[in-house]
Amino acid sequence: MWGQILNSLRILLCVLVLTCLSAAQEAVPLIRNTSVIVFRGATVYPISGPAIEHGVVVVNGAKIAAVGPEGKTPIPPNAKVIDVTGKIIMPGIVDSHSHIGIGSLPSVQANADVNEGSGPLQPQLRAMDAIYPADPRIRMATAGGVTTANIMPGSGNVIGGQTAYVKLRGTTIEDMLIPGALGGLKMANGENPKHYGARGQAPMTRMEEAALARREYIKAEEYKAKWDDYNKKVAAGDKDSKAPERDLAMEPLVQVLEGKRIVQHHTHRADDIMTVVRLADEFHFRVVIHHGTEAYKVADELAKRHIPVTLTVVDSPGGKLEAINMNLEEAAILDKAGVKIAINTDDDINSSRFLLREAALAVRGGLSRETAMKALTINGAEILDLQNRVGTLDPGKDADLIVLSGDPFSVYTKVLQTWIEGQKVYDHSIPADARYFSGGFQFGDRYPALPASAAVGEGAQ
Amino acid sequence: MKTLRLALILAALVTSSFAQKYAIVADKLYTEAGNHPAGTPGMVLIDNGKITEIRSGPAPAGYTIVRARIVTPGLIDTKTTAGISGAYNIPADQDQDESTDPNTADVRAFDSFNPNEKLLSYVNTFGVTTVQTAPGIINPVAGQAAIFKTDGPLSPNMTADDLSVRPVSAMVFNLGESPKLTYGREHKAPMTRMAVAALIRKALFDAQVYNHKWDDWNKSEKKDLSKQPAHDTKLDALASVIRGEVPAIFNAYRQDDIDTAIRIAQEFKLKFMLSSATEGYMMADKIKASGAPVLVGPTLQRLESLETDNASLEDAAILANAGIPVGLMTGFEGYVPKNRVLLFEAGVAAANGLGWDRTLRSVTIDAAKILGIADRVGSLEPNKDADVALFDGDPFEYTSHVLAVFVNGKETYQREQSAP
Repeated sequence: MWGQILNSLRILLCVLVLTCLSAAQEAVPLIRNTSVIVFRGATVYPISGPAIEHGVVVVNGAKIAAVGPEGKTPIPPNAKVIDVTGKIIMPGIVDSHSHIGIGSLPSVQANADVNEGSGPLQPQLRAMDAIYPADPRIRMATAGGVTTANIMPGSGNVIGGQTAYVKLRGTTIEDMLIPGALGGLKMANGENPKHYGARGQAPMTRMEEAALARREYIKAEEYKAKWDDYNKKVAAGDKDSKAPERDLAMEPLVQVLEGKRIVQHHTHRADDIMTVVRLADEFHFRVVIHHGTEAYKVADELAKRHIPVTLTVVDSPGGKLEAINMNLEEAAILDKAGVKIAINTDDDINSSRFLLREAALAVRGGLSRETAMKALTINGAEILDLQNRVGTLDPGKDADLIVLSGDPFSVYTKVLQTWIEGQKVYDHSIPADARYFSGGFQFGDRYPALPASAAVGEGAQ
Repeated sequence: MKTLRLALILAALVTSSFAQKYAIVADKLYTEAGNHPAGTPGMVLIDNGKITEIRSGPAPAGYTIVRARIVTPGLIDTKTTAGISGAYNIPADQDQDESTDPNTADVRAFDSFNPNEKLLSYVNTFGVTTVQTAPGIINPVAGQAAIFKTDGPLSPNMTADDLSVRPVSAMVFNLGESPKLTYGREHKAPMTRMAVAALIRKALFDAQVYNHKWDDWNKSEKKDLSKQPAHDTKLDALASVIRGEVPAIFNAYRQDDIDTAIRIAQEFKLKFMLSSATEGYMMADKIKASGAPVLVGPTLQRLESLETDNASLEDAAILANAGIPVGLMTGFEGYVPKNRVLLFEAGVAAANGLGWDRTLRSVTIDAAKILGIADRVGSLEPNKDADVALFDGDPFEYTSHVLAVFVNGKETYQREQSAP
């Protein structure tokens, strides 16, 4: 009897404080903010301009209404004011290359939906059809300050499929998808797609990888020409003209040829990067180099074509031959050459909890702090065509922001709050949320809490 | 800065020619030996590969002066596959897992160790001067680990013997997923955790019997050669573990696997430590009661298996808070990045409850004590090996730089010379 009552009490408590096991493993439901929220006291990094000491950020509904210094930025009388004195505010981080949700935790075959290894050309596949909004890795990403992600199929195929540009909240993929954003097209070359060779299938060589891509784009050009012709006739009033047959694999490629969908291309080695450049030159498509381990060797070629690179900054070289020349100076060299760079996680290559850390390692390698901040925000937004919605703190943009405890590039800094379109999706002061940063969230209330620790940096003792 | 650069270049120029006398001058010196107020200005004198004096004030004549903001002992990675699991990650350079037999007690990491491995040199540039290189994670009885110094970009062409600290430092046992998944795939034992444990117990039991037989033989007064036990290299290796001469390392991730490790170690009264211990933080009291130190990590690892799903950045802190001796390790990585960097792992630990002081100890003197090599490394004091790491800021900050690294009194890395 008492046991039953205690159990009921426990369940009630769980429901109330949302710290019970089941609650801790759900997606954060989308709640559309309708109020006015003001953050005051923090140093604000709008990215579009210099840092603002004692800054004020006014959020109205899902959008940013105003950003400016205290005293010069009117605070609406009905606003809910959040005092974040002494903290840092920056835009929510844009991760331009991620596999969260599509390869969910736990990492077992049953959850492996990243690579459709049944054939090297899969343009008709859509990442959105495999994304699991309750994947804990999505919550872990918000614990790292990520608010927008490009969730992609893997690099096992020459054409991997259509990527999804999402916000990291909501219980359905429809909640997550950014309205009006088509997403990119994932492509890959180099070592990974050659895995078909082990089965005696194409591609076995880099030559065939390139040939596969060229064949497909030439087909797409023909397909596009037929549809263009048909559409022209219809527009001219021809009612007898018969529509060409729809081809779901060709449609995303046509969007690429029309510049509406950006090719997000996995590639490491300098010669593989130049193969991508050749394809882009031949078919005039917009492309972003992903990983780009040796992009620094062909920085000028990329700079003169305005091809951006989104780097995955890893701990050490190797793991595969094409990543053997990894070094922490890559970002700095590319930046100096005039190449636009972003920094991504390729989660689970790197954990989304540590995307800030990747940028810090690039700073260690000589990248300016200013560019590193852009590489986490606006540059990522630009390579996803999302610069009008996210990536800076400017009036009219989505109210995606993070509150940090200190210097964005310090190991000791924690993401305290993560906000997406005016909705708080992560709060470090709630233990169940904080476990998505530290790990161990599956243990729920049984997780042994650490006593709160003071400043821990060198010389703090 | 210019003078520093000049000093460093001068230092490097003479390093190669003869054993150098160095005075390493720090704004903040951390000796981890209690012989100098931590974090205050100080100087480490090095002569002929050894530390000769910790002092303050001006450097004596005849020493090459190298300056840095922060100076610490060289870092110790308590368990890694660096040196036997190469950066290319192709069969040609993967020598960590002899997965042809679940009991490979007689294989030695020493015999796979490639001193010219890129990853060793790489971690050296991040201040890591000592590594315990251990066989991989597949075999329940995986073989013998060894402890080495690392060589760096400025100290090529070393041999395993040049770098050796302990040719046999531990016997490695693996529990959990890797053994059963690898052998189970071929329908061979072990397919289950039960068989993993049974296999380890059988090996240790056989070694116990073998040890008794040899004891009896050695004690027997008249040596009847026809009754002399036959030598067995695996049992020889395991008997040294039974006798407590070689410590056992049990690698386990999940709580129940850690529990199994403790159960087996206690059954055979082994001198042992735990490694990885991903869910160790959930059972700190039990680990504390077992007396086993823990080689924690890596916390930056990919969560690529069920048993690492609950990895916590606070693992080291919670274990240390319980009074358990804690070292940090980088372990094994099977893809990109091929290796973790101890310095980065330490940063994560420092920022997630372990704190700065304890973290530095966990990668220097505490690690040395756990591995039984504190007579040579782990702190800066006279007569110890001159293994020193020089930083331009808080070592654990991602944005700081390692300025130079010394191993056995030789400069193995210098930032100004090595930048591309």
